[in-house]
Amino acid sequence: MLGKLMKHEFRATARIMLPVMGAMAALALLANLSIRGLAGNLSDVPMLKILFTLIIIFFGAAVVATVVMSLVIMVSRFYRNLLKDEGYLMFTLPVSVHELIWSKLIVSLVWFLATGLLIFLVMALMALNLSHTNLEMILKQLPSWSEIIGWLDQAGVRGQVITFLVQIVLGTLTGIIAACLHFYAAMALGHMFSKDKVLLSIVFFVGISFAFNLMEMGYGVVGFGLSDLENLDMSSGREGLAFVSNVIWHGIGLSAVQAAVLYLAAFLGLKKGLNLE
Amino acid sequence: MAILECRDLSKRFGSVQALDTVSLKIEPGRVVGLLGPNGSGKTTLLKLANGLLTPTGGEILIGGEAPGSATHAAVSYLPDKPYLAEWMKVRQLLDFFSDFYADFDRDKATEMLLRLNIDENMRIKEMSKGTREKAQLILVMSRRAMLYLLDEPIGGVDPATRDYILDTIIRNYNPEAAVVISTHLIADVEQVLDDVIFINQGKIVLQSSVDAIREEHGMSVDQYFREVFRC
Repeated sequence: MLGKLMKHEFRATARIMLPVMGAMAALALLANLSIRGLAGNLSDVPMLKILFTLIIIFFGAAVVATVVMSLVIMVSRFYRNLLKDEGYLMFTLPVSVHELIWSKLIVSLVWFLATGLLIFLVMALMALNLSHTNLEMILKQLPSWSEIIGWLDQAGVRGQVITFLVQIVLGTLTGIIAACLHFYAAMALGHMFSKDKVLLSIVFFVGISFAFNLMEMGYGVVGFGLSDLENLDMSSGREGLAFVSNVIWHGIGLSAVQAAVLYLAAFLGLKKGLNLE
Repeated sequence: MAILECRDLSKRFGSVQALDTVSLKIEPGRVVGLLGPNGSGKTTLLKLANGLLTPTGGEILIGGEAPGSATHAAVSYLPDKPYLAEWMKVRQLLDFFSDFYADFDRDKATEMLLRLNIDENMRIKEMSKGTREKAQLILVMSRRAMLYLLDEPIGGVDPATRDYILDTIIRNYNPEAAVVISTHLIADVEQVLDDVIFINQGKIVLQSSVDAIREEHGMSVDQYFREVFRC
């Protein structure tokens, strides 16, 4: 049933996300072509200068709008689809509460990753001088995997770089999941009450943030031992890298623990305290 | 075994006691009217049966099980408010119901939609209040469920449609299933009921068959209801 829930969740979210992402990609292309086309004449024609500026502003706005939209969709799908009138349908489906939460979580994660990837691509697109010959030249100049591995081996940092890449992937995933669950848990807990549900959701959101900040600080000072920093031999790059890597692992672990706590809170809020009006 | 059973079921909202130690049984094959004035606890009872609320006391069982994903597969529920996503087209809702309910009969739903001139390409937000209610009822009654819980199914529609809806309920439900119709429009539903449950201020006032009321009191259910709940 999780697959079916996700299918319908994608259907509900794609109708908004795809046009927004499409608009951003189209504006990136337009901005790129305009920059190349207008750059040479900017100083001569004031109108072109204004047009150029406008296109860049629109592009920037589209990037921001896409990120904001992913966030808004993530929050509003949980709120409207589960905690308002549509919840009457969703909570009477023959599916478990776990499946309901995971379907929302996975689909939101996919949209956040897609948004991030698209922003990376359009930024790269903006930087490129788009033309057939240029692209061919750039592609030819790109180093091969074996070349990259060779350079890393030469510098003796192959292991560290691979670890760092794994950390980026894991950190991004746990970070996004924990952020989504932060909103879900706050809303689920806030809606257990009969009155002031939205206000209480905000209170829970802030309360959770505060508690987690304290937890992070406490963990950093006591558990992890930031005092180690004083004994760190900063003249040794290798030791510094190992220290940073260690900090990142702990950060990922902490984020995963927070995500688990938030998941449990969201689950219990929906399972034990569902209070649809 | 009773298809729906409440044992000392209670639900409290803050200082308001919405249901107070309610005990009742509904057997398969019966059409039951859950009748009571506004605010008597009808909707609360149906929500509890669907797991949309958690009891504060006692228990409610569907086919011997507490409400959960297993009982949802056997219960077809019509809430008393618009609950379908407004952006969705009727066709998308048919997909949705077909995907999740193994007992959903799409052909039957399509036939009823045609009969009531509801276009499958229409979005919910484009529909009038009455058409929305009809579309919701068609989806709910196109399931071959063991228990239908219908909360005010005829509240917002014209008399002609009201007749069609009641006819739809009676013609479409599985004879082994039970139907619970919550309403305060008693005269309109009386003709289709086998049993009635009177509920007031969260307590069961009466559970009886319609025939017994007519025989013992010499009046219709509507007349008897007015007598019992006289202000």
